[in-house]
Amino acid sequence: MSCENPTAEADAIMPRKRKYDKSRTCVKCKENAGNVVVRHAVYCRACFIPQMTYKFRRSLEPYVNAKPDGPRRTALKPTGNLLVAFSGGLGSTVLLDLVNRCYVSPDPTLLTADGGRDHPRNERVWKRVHVCYVECCDVLLGTKDRTEEVKNLVEQIQGVEFISLRIQDAFDSSWWNSIFHEDSNGDVVVDLSDEMLPFVTTGSSTQTPLSAMKAYLASLPTPTALPTTLNNLIRVLLQHTALNTNSSHLLFGTSLTSLAVSLISNVSQGGGFHVKEEMQEEWFPDARLAKNSKIGSVRLIRPLKDISVKECGVWAWWSRLRVIGREEWTWPGAKPGIGRLTKDFIRGLETDYPSTVSTIVRTCGKLSPKGSTSGQCLLCQRPAQEGVQAWKARIAIRSHDDVALAGTSVPDPPGHALAPLLCYVCHTTLTSKGTRAAPALYPSHTSPSVGISVPLWASSYLLGSALHDESSDTGFVEPVAFSGGKRMSQEELRGAISEFILD
Amino acid sequence: MPPRNCALCDQARAILKRPKTGQQICKDCFFYVFETEVHNTITEAKLFKLGDRVAIGASGGKDSTVLAYVMKTLNDRYQYGLELFLLSIDEGITGYRDDSLETVKRNQQQYDIPLKILSYDELYGWTMDAIVSQVGKKNNCTFCGVFRRQALDRGAAMLNVDHIVTGHNADDIAETVLMNIMRGDIARLGRCTSICTQGDDTIKRSKPFKYAYEKEIVMYAYFKKLDYFSTECIYSPDAYRGHARAFLKDLEAARPSAIIDIIHSGEAFEVKEEVKATQKLQQICKRCGYMSSNDLCKACSLLEGLERGMPRAAVTDRAFRKKMLEEDQPPEGLRTIPYFQRPSGETRVGTIS
Ligand SMILES: [Zn+2]
Ligand SMILES: [Zn+2]
Ligand SMILES: [Zn+2]
Ligand SMILES: [Zn+2]
Repeated sequence: MSCENPTAEADAIMPRKRKYDKSRTCVKCKENAGNVVVRHAVYCRACFIPQMTYKFRRSLEPYVNAKPDGPRRTALKPTGNLLVAFSGGLGSTVLLDLVNRCYVSPDPTLLTADGGRDHPRNERVWKRVHVCYVECCDVLLGTKDRTEEVKNLVEQIQGVEFISLRIQDAFDSSWWNSIFHEDSNGDVVVDLSDEMLPFVTTGSSTQTPLSAMKAYLASLPTPTALPTTLNNLIRVLLQHTALNTNSSHLLFGTSLTSLAVSLISNVSQGGGFHVKEEMQEEWFPDARLAKNSKIGSVRLIRPLKDISVKECGVWAWWSRLRVIGREEWTWPGAKPGIGRLTKDFIRGLETDYPSTVSTIVRTCGKLSPKGSTSGQCLLCQRPAQEGVQAWKARIAIRSHDDVALAGTSVPDPPGHALAPLLCYVCHTTLTSKGTRAAPALYPSHTSPSVGISVPLWASSYLLGSALHDESSDTGFVEPVAFSGGKRMSQEELRGAISEFILD
Repeated sequence: MPPRNCALCDQARAILKRPKTGQQICKDCFFYVFETEVHNTITEAKLFKLGDRVAIGASGGKDSTVLAYVMKTLNDRYQYGLELFLLSIDEGITGYRDDSLETVKRNQQQYDIPLKILSYDELYGWTMDAIVSQVGKKNNCTFCGVFRRQALDRGAAMLNVDHIVTGHNADDIAETVLMNIMRGDIARLGRCTSICTQGDDTIKRSKPFKYAYEKEIVMYAYFKKLDYFSTECIYSPDAYRGHARAFLKDLEAARPSAIIDIIHSGEAFEVKEEVKATQKLQQICKRCGYMSSNDLCKACSLLEGLERGMPRAAVTDRAFRKKMLEEDQPPEGLRTIPYFQRPSGETRVGTIS
């Protein structure tokens, strides 16, 4: 759905059928004739623009300084640069426009009167602003590469720098080594057929990053897992890019509407522990990676979280923004997953109950995670709740051995299993099966029969910690590995991790 | 597909695919895991103590029939030492409740558990049939829900039990989590996944089937050939809940673990402390002594609406409810709910004003 014109974004522009409460006069100034209806309230253009600018700044500025403050009094002084995530979609297009006109090349028409108080017009808030686009076309059959198009669009903006990535960079050790100067000296191969997710460390992979990426996606057990995985890979790639560009802030163009969908979808995938992160989060990278960085953490913010898709559409229209559009993530033969079902459901519900999306976001804003954290999830980098594996074993007995474990906690497996290092969502994404087998994603692609490689941040950690745990002096002792990239047989793989095999 | 061995015992031939895990297992292993998971739920939450008197809320439907059977089985197998009762509420719905109560009476004989039946008519002076003839089918679930909850507590008090267990299953709880988020019902969201709820001095209520899939409860009843009455309430359910249920079914079809995943989500968050502080405290209904978040409990205000011939106003009109409250005593001649007597045994302080 490539389009030159924002009207093509579904429901984005004013509905043909006008719906407004009482009068056609703007509810704010009570003078001008209204130009737009936002949730049954009529606004004129002169009131809408500052109102939306205000909502954007209200969701961002209190979190710019290292110490978050409520109604901001002090000047905006972030500890690092800014990274804007750009997908080509409506939300990120509007986000980029707002960032540009508020902080890069301040637009006096936006920053007037009350809106401009404390705004450092002479000094840039973030010294450098990067815009990063992650191209997924290589894993989505039949979609086109938009990198050039995005690059041209971004480079029209003075004062921002463009960075392009490809989704398979998550498996590309040359990308990893170029930013973290860490020589990748191995690969980690996980067996998805066992719910403990046993893994072995091997010699460097001979696969190309793209074929490792495809093998990873092709081994996922459900259509639900595909977009969840892509979303997480994109987010974590961006987080590492933020770290590498010394960006203390990473912004996403998630609108109120998409935030409501992602909250419900996330809850439906077991991510109740991450409700807070789904809205806003702070990522503390592994100390090894952060050692060369000027920033200690990256704050992920969604400044459009109070602005609906429709308001974004109106903004784009009035600001004459060109929306490239983003590809729908579809896989031939795959039934809709939980993400897609949630999106359709919320859309439908909104017609009868128009306040649904804001209610969802407001309700989730009143929640906080419960229970303790066992660390950071190796894959999605969000906090992992303690006791997930014991909970799963108690709630659904999958083996007679579980019975002995239930009631107590599952003892930490002594060696190489991924399950205890993952959050509930990631473990479920990798192990929970559908009622039918997932369709073959890449018919022509031959996947390795045993195990898949994990993204680089995970393998780097595992190889690094193998170094610490097992032999403090000599690097990792037993590369359980095979030499020269030969795939291990199922028996060899099991033999190496037999202590985890329950049956 | 060729017959496979059971994924759990590897001895018998697998005869079913477990909805919850997708594993193909044999019948005995299914009974075993189903019962053991309920036992895990009970022991993990430390629901009972030796000698507790426990009422099983029995409707004659599949959930409560299987619950009665499993409670009895586990009580014997693991020597919980519980004294079990069946407690049925007769809402007064002709053709629906009559038949289902017959089922409960048969359960009483089959399981040898004493039964107590308490009717809306006897407690409130109104049957659901009479209420529906007044309010129509649109709001009647509001009445039924409020009245049933209070009736169960009152029946339990009459039986002098410590604890009521109900047949709410994992599907019900997952659906409630989603619904409370979408409706913004933060108070209910905070408590809907707790296995056991207890107000300051009410009778404990818990849900031993909190992690049991509806489909597996049906399977269990089927393979055990349990006698249950299967029909939905003839009065239509609330539309919003209907949407949530249909959505949940779609999610389950996409990925069967969705039900358990949603419950896990519900257990992984809580209402922020600062939000909790603004929530209303529980108090005692000035008229009937039942716990309430207002001076007048929901049942009393609904009942008064019915009695005054203005049932809808009692559901929707705040001003009307306020007016009812101001008149401290109900007007002469209107029926009211008998004052709530809590089970004796423990001394409860400060509950009666
Ligand atoms: Zn105006
Ligand atoms: Zn994770
Ligand atoms: Zn078996
Ligand atoms: Zn009352």
